Amino acid sequence: MARAEGRRQPPGSRLIWPLLAIPGTVWLALLFVAPLYVVVAILFGGTDPILREPVPVWNPLDWDFTQFTYVWDHIVGSQPFFRPALVRTVLYVTIATLLCLLIAYPVAYFTARFAGRWRGPLLAALIAPFWISYMMRMLAWVNLLQTDGLVNRTLSAGGLLDVHVNWLQGHATTVVLGLAYGYVPYMILPLYAGLDRAPTAMLEAARDLGASRWETFRRVTWPLSQTAVVVSLLVTALPMLGDYFTNDLLSGSPSTSMIGNLINNSVLTPGQTGQAGAFVLIILVVSVIPMVLYVRSTRSGADVMS
Amino acid sequence: MADHQYGARRRSVVKGALAAGVSAPALWTLLSACGTKTSSSATVKIPSPTTPVTWPMSKVNEAIAAGQKPKAGTTLRIYNYADYLSPRVLKDFEEKYGVDIRLSTFNDADEALTKVASKQLKFDLYFPSYDSLGKLIGADLLRPLTHDYLTNYDNLWSSFRDPWYDRGARYTVPYTIYSTGIGWRTDMVPDDIAGMDNPYDVFWDTTYAGKMAILDDWHTAMSMVLLRNGIHDINSTKQSDLDLIRTQLLDLRKTMHPKVTISMYTEMPAGQYGLCQMWSGDAINTPYYLPKSVSPSVMRYWFPPDGKGEVDNDLVVLLAQGENPVAAHFFINEILDNSVAAKNFGFTGYQPPLNKFTPSTLVSDGYLPQNLATAVVEEKDFKVGFPLLQLPPASDAAWHQVWQEFKAGG
Repeated sequence: MARAEGRRQPPGSRLIWPLLAIPGTVWLALLFVAPLYVVVAILFGGTDPILREPVPVWNPLDWDFTQFTYVWDHIVGSQPFFRPALVRTVLYVTIATLLCLLIAYPVAYFTARFAGRWRGPLLAALIAPFWISYMMRMLAWVNLLQTDGLVNRTLSAGGLLDVHVNWLQGHATTVVLGLAYGYVPYMILPLYAGLDRAPTAMLEAARDLGASRWETFRRVTWPLSQTAVVVSLLVTALPMLGDYFTNDLLSGSPSTSMIGNLINNSVLTPGQTGQAGAFVLIILVVSVIPMVLYVRSTRSGADVMS
Repeated sequence: MADHQYGARRRSVVKGALAAGVSAPALWTLLSACGTKTSSSATVKIPSPTTPVTWPMSKVNEAIAAGQKPKAGTTLRIYNYADYLSPRVLKDFEEKYGVDIRLSTFNDADEALTKVASKQLKFDLYFPSYDSLGKLIGADLLRPLTHDYLTNYDNLWSSFRDPWYDRGARYTVPYTIYSTGIGWRTDMVPDDIAGMDNPYDVFWDTTYAGKMAILDDWHTAMSMVLLRNGIHDINSTKQSDLDLIRTQLLDLRKTMHPKVTISMYTEMPAGQYGLCQMWSGDAINTPYYLPKSVSPSVMRYWFPPDGKGEVDNDLVVLLAQGENPVAAHFFINEILDNSVAAKNFGFTGYQPPLNKFTPSTLVSDGYLPQNLATAVVEEKDFKVGFPLLQLPPASDAAWHQVWQEFKAGG
């Protein structure tokens, strides 16, 4: 049947799809593959003898693996001083992403299902944080979280209680909450898009067949939104993995350093720039795992739909 | 293969250096920087008060001719620490000469050097410390000064007109002077830190765990450990000293959870912490950032009374990548003017090494309160104090490695 359909295609139509794919392929090559190769060339490259700046080596035959080995040894070797930052990153990102999901799912669900004529304004309000730069939003929190800031004043119930929480002095809680606050808009939108597309007829059918609200959610809404949940988890967690700014502003303590901070510190330290490339590769490899899960999830979703 | 390449690069560096007319001390620095296993770091000549250096005049980047005027409508690009130049001074200069100033800022010297070395940003003026001077000159990033433009040069302290790190002031003009000590707020720290047997111990006093900060500057923070232990060679290349630094710095991180920052001048007044390692200029600045409800009298700054602490000066240099060297010369001369320097000092808190500013007048003229008089730096402090010097490449890498471990939070 497929072959028969193939024969009916007009001449030249077989070239249309590859042609349409060219801009995207070029884009990907220019903005992902080429920069990644630069990172690798720096990671396995040399160092300028005077300024100790990185000198990329383009020929793989001349690559020097010292920087990568150094990083690897200090992750898995006998002096694994990079390891805690990696573990911390996974922990912070996991907790912050789950927090985002807890916050974003009900908001997206409400907007998609019950907002009615308020859906437009509500969506605009959800997108509003994107209009303000991430840095400004974090700086606002720096003011709010000062020892004499609004948060402590509120917690002290207007001075009735003695609250002197030093939120900005290297607390993991502050960093995790900062991450969740900063990235939650990234999660709401894909969730909203997924939930909005859930067929109302199926939900009504479930209710008509006697399912309670909870049963309807558990057996219909949640399975239908799983692809959107996976997408939103990825969209949120992946940029969080490389975040360093939140920790810099809301903590500034080595005790809460994440892999993004290791990258930032290495890039800015003469002689250590190649190590930043090693961390980037580690993030890349770690990111591939959820991406594979995502692809599998969408494929199985497509199978179900078909 | 790698060795062969390495050798080739080393030779090209030597060839380039010779072509540029690099003198013996600088050449030694370059050769040692190449890091051959046989070269001893002890042979590296690095400027220090006991071994002054006269840098060769760059043949790649020639000094500009005298007698020119800045062109109105051009742009002067300045690269400096944040809040280290008064906006009023910049505005006045723009109005006076019709030049548009673009100020870019950096957080630490390593970051700055990385960006300056890229040569892409076309900065005209850069404000480094002298510990990176050898690298800047070795890499031919600087343009020699044309002193004819610097008519205010004699306003400088006499000992700063022909400094040890740049004999003849061929490339540099001193910008500010400062010491590094301990800052604290008496309303948050009950201890009399100045009266302690060893005030540096307060950074390891768990009473202040989670309530203190140290400077986000590898050399400054690490040398504090040496000073705590009575070791005055804060540029030590001994492995035993580095081991000591590592042990105590990691201990500090684990037990004290310090914030690592250079924003003490805003964060301590805001009450984020009451104790920190501090530059004197920042200490002088703190009263301006205190909430109105807090009296400036709570601020304190300690520097060893015998002067055996860290004292340094920052510089202003002309980058060869800049496109407006004439305006850059005029700007340098402007900040050497007594009244302009006073305006700048009033904003930054960092003292210029000019004859006009003496310890007594700084307090009496209201630049700082009496309780912060210890933050004033005197000319004699530079005879007793210890400067941070450029380290030989191998030691530099080893120090950075310890700092990296500290900051990784492992």
